Amino acid sequence: MATAALARPAFKPSPYLVGAGALFVVAFVYAMYLKLTLGHAGFNTTNYGVFWGLPIVAYDYFLLTSTGLTLLASLPLTLGLRQFDPIAKRCIWLALAALVGGVAILFMELAHPFRALWAAPLNFQTASPLFWKILCVGAYTIVLVLLALTFARGTAPAAVPKPLALLATVLALAITLIAGSVYSMMIFRPFWYGGELPVAFLIESFMGGIVFFVFFTYLIHGFSVDSVPQSTRELLAGSVGTFVAAAIFLHILFAVVRTVAGLWSYGEGLQVWRYTVDQPLYWAALIGGGIVPLVIFALPALRAQPWLQILGAVLVALGLLASRYEFVINGQLLPPFKGSWAPSPLSYEPSQLEWMLLIVGVLLANTVYAALESWSSTKES
Amino acid sequence: MTKWGMVIDLDKCTGCQACTTACAMENSRLPGESWQDVLFYHEGTYPNVKLSWLPRPCMQCENPSCVAVCPTKATWKTEDGVVLVDWDKCIGCKYCMIACPYGVRFYMDEKPVVQPDLREVFPGDGNRIWNPPYKMPDHLEDRKRGIGVQPPGVVSKCTFCYHKISKAPKGVADLDEDNPETREYTPACVRVCPPKARYFGDLDNPDSKVNQLIADKRGVRLKEETGNKPQVYYLSGGGAPVVPGERSQRTS
Ligand code: SF4
Ligand code: SF4
Ligand code: SF4
Repeated sequence: MATAALARPAFKPSPYLVGAGALFVVAFVYAMYLKLTLGHAGFNTTNYGVFWGLPIVAYDYFLLTSTGLTLLASLPLTLGLRQFDPIAKRCIWLALAALVGGVAILFMELAHPFRALWAAPLNFQTASPLFWKILCVGAYTIVLVLLALTFARGTAPAAVPKPLALLATVLALAITLIAGSVYSMMIFRPFWYGGELPVAFLIESFMGGIVFFVFFTYLIHGFSVDSVPQSTRELLAGSVGTFVAAAIFLHILFAVVRTVAGLWSYGEGLQVWRYTVDQPLYWAALIGGGIVPLVIFALPALRAQPWLQILGAVLVALGLLASRYEFVINGQLLPPFKGSWAPSPLSYEPSQLEWMLLIVGVLLANTVYAALESWSSTKES
Repeated sequence: MTKWGMVIDLDKCTGCQACTTACAMENSRLPGESWQDVLFYHEGTYPNVKLSWLPRPCMQCENPSCVAVCPTKATWKTEDGVVLVDWDKCIGCKYCMIACPYGVRFYMDEKPVVQPDLREVFPGDGNRIWNPPYKMPDHLEDRKRGIGVQPPGVVSKCTFCYHKISKAPKGVADLDEDNPETREYTPACVRVCPPKARYFGDLDNPDSKVNQLIADKRGVRLKEETGNKPQVYYLSGGGAPVVPGERSQRTS
């Protein structure tokens, strides 16, 4: 085993950790203040039809980013592609950080999160995708913590226990596909229904994972390009960049094909596609979060530029959040069974509390990641 | 085995909302969040207008998608065919609300539909989200079956007035408010319906009035394409009950 000496590196909080941690505490206190004073009425969800709002969007977004990062890490850890060794540790740490951020948002949104911890595993509702999702996310959390600890001890990627890495890969795959199935099985919600959706989720998850890796690699080096190790820079400009381009291309393909089919069909419920393409958000996500970064990452001359990589990564990350929002919210805008009480389409915009939960999740994920980086005080894999 | 079901005769229903009011009183619902509602639809523009309405309780589906998706089995189906919610197991994830094709489930913690917010006027005690001045006797409340005043953070729905029908004499074919022996066991919405547009009985009993009506007047179920198989049937002279989709509405 290529395990380094177990001497614990001195914990030296980086300015990044101090900043993220302080902002997290402030945001958390304010979010809890809103939650405790307003109760669930602080959310803009209703009984008319928009049951899941921005917090569920954010939870799914973070969860899928986490699984995407784990899938990226599985290239060296599970498939043994040694040229990707330099990215393994950061991917796992980011995956854990994103998972913590996402689950925290869910816990702040759910009325009885702790009840879920026993009521779901003990009741075996095997027909429910959410039952499997809860089970897999629980196991995934444990496996990610073990992997993160393995790396924190200084274990080299090649020495990470294979069964652990394989388990992480399988769970990440399962969670991503199940997350898609939560929506894709709703036959009376045609905006969501379809067997191809879990596959689209998988592609988007992988895409999100890679761009998070790109962005945070530069961030942890204070956006000083020269301090990013040469091996990592070569990967970003080479195969990692190509992966992003391929994933963005497939993502755009799915988005366009779904839009065309939705606009063409006269099926009841699919008219929400007309509403969707009338929204600037749709075009911002497609062009700003898809086509522009595709050009950046597809052209070798452009993706070799670190600042363009960072720009592309930010655009993709924001575009994915917009797409996830559009997918989850617009799928509920036409209640399947409406009467005169329900305007068509329903309207929804996130409340202050809902935005705060997203911000808390972002800051918590950053804090966890910064803590892991500080903990090892190793600046590069 | 008994399989409770309801028949609603749309040719008789006047849209008076007595059922809605009775359900709200019986089950301590907040204004605007009754488990039973009459949905109104209008199509076209004056003078070529059509007005229609549809009373809609929970369909108590034979294949309930809400039961299938509930990750904790908080939503469950009784042996006599009624879908209930165990409030002690519900985590408030609202997946059942997403998965119900008929929009009949309620999370009572949202912004108030009607002002003043009665939850503030009659504050609850933690176990009940509000403390209504009218409510069923405490001994009838049953959290395992979602009966009584709804607690915070859980989902609720029509119970087919399970606190009444579950006490009906065994083997009875119909629960009819005109029959003194079954009046007390008849669901509130059925009991108060002025034109007697609602009927309640055992769908597994070939002699029940509900079966007779479904056969004679060609009862239909809503959204058959979902495969949920509602146990609520509508009579509308043989055609499908009119629930106009946006795209099927007359435009002039
Ligand atoms: S109508 Fe909805 S809530 Fe009622 S049983 Fe069917 S799926 Fe469940
Ligand atoms: S909200 Fe409650 S009843 Fe509905 S699916 Fe979730 S746990 Fe089940
Ligand atoms: S059966 Fe009872 S609970 Fe259901 S709609 Fe009628 S009155 Fe309400």
